[in-house]
Amino acid sequence: MKLYIKIALFAVSFVAISAILAALYMFNLKHTDMSKAKPDFIVSATDLQKEFELNETAASARYINKILEVTGTITSITHADSNYLNISLKTGSDISNVICTFPAVGDLSMLKTGEEITLRGQCSGFLMDVLLNNCAKVTKRNKE
Amino acid sequence: MKRLFLFLFFLNIVFASNAQKFMTKNGYLSFFSHTPLEDIKGENNQAAGVLDISSGEMVFQALIKSFHFDKALMEEHFNENYMESDKFPKASFKGKITNLPDVNFSKKGTYDVTVEGDLTIHDVTNKVNVKGTILIDDTGIKANSKFNIVPEDFKIIIPGVVRDKINKDLEIAVNMKYEPLATK
Repeated sequence: MKLYIKIALFAVSFVAISAILAALYMFNLKHTDMSKAKPDFIVSATDLQKEFELNETAASARYINKILEVTGTITSITHADSNYLNISLKTGSDISNVICTFPAVGDLSMLKTGEEITLRGQCSGFLMDVLLNNCAKVTKRNKE
Repeated sequence: MKRLFLFLFFLNIVFASNAQKFMTKNGYLSFFSHTPLEDIKGENNQAAGVLDISSGEMVFQALIKSFHFDKALMEEHFNENYMESDKFPKASFKGKITNLPDVNFSKKGTYDVTVEGDLTIHDVTNKVNVKGTILIDDTGIKANSKFNIVPEDFKIIIPGVVRDKINKDLEIAVNMKYEPLATK
């Protein structure tokens, strides 16, 4: 076999294998690790809820799909049937909170109502509360 | 004096009617489909629901973007290609338990119910009639249901290549743990 054919074959198979590996990588890609992600906005739970209550359209355009770093006081902790945990944060409203869903319970089992927490999550929008998903607790070490 | 009496009277009505209402903001919804390649599962833990035990009325609301998938790309496709969640951010259900007399809300137990109502997904509303259970125990009232929907009924277009690989219908699961509506 001529050398240039060998080189061409090698190049083609190299490209093909890389393409398959890249596709597999994309396909299996997990979500951004929020404990390491850079937040788009840093806001308190009270201010965040107020913004949505005053002007939902504007707040939606500003925050949805963005990574928010939110600080607030825990009003309730709800364990779901699945391996998820919901934490509600206190706001200026009696009926509307910021609800944050954590994909894994992990070291969150230590948390108690009344404690202050800083977390990062992706904003899904506003239902009766401001909803954050894929949340992770922010510790002093990985704080911005 | 008469006004005060009237005020107390109305206050009483508000409290009495609220005592019949139960709600959750941490409701669980999931959808599931089996494919030869892998299972597709999206889970939402942020559904809001209200149950009125005097009338049997049930209302649910959820954000499409609150559905969480194990794989990031799957979540992106779900939101952008199929549900178009920027345009249609919410899904909702409004209906009624049709066999309400069969459920004794003051007695612990599991009761089979049928719920009928309007399900709105992707801005398309369809009448649905589903079976479920109401479970009453020490912790409160729980409502569970599993039913199937066909995406095409809600004008959700799945391209042919992908469509052939997944089941015609998707399984929807609903798990609600209600708490008494706080009277403030």
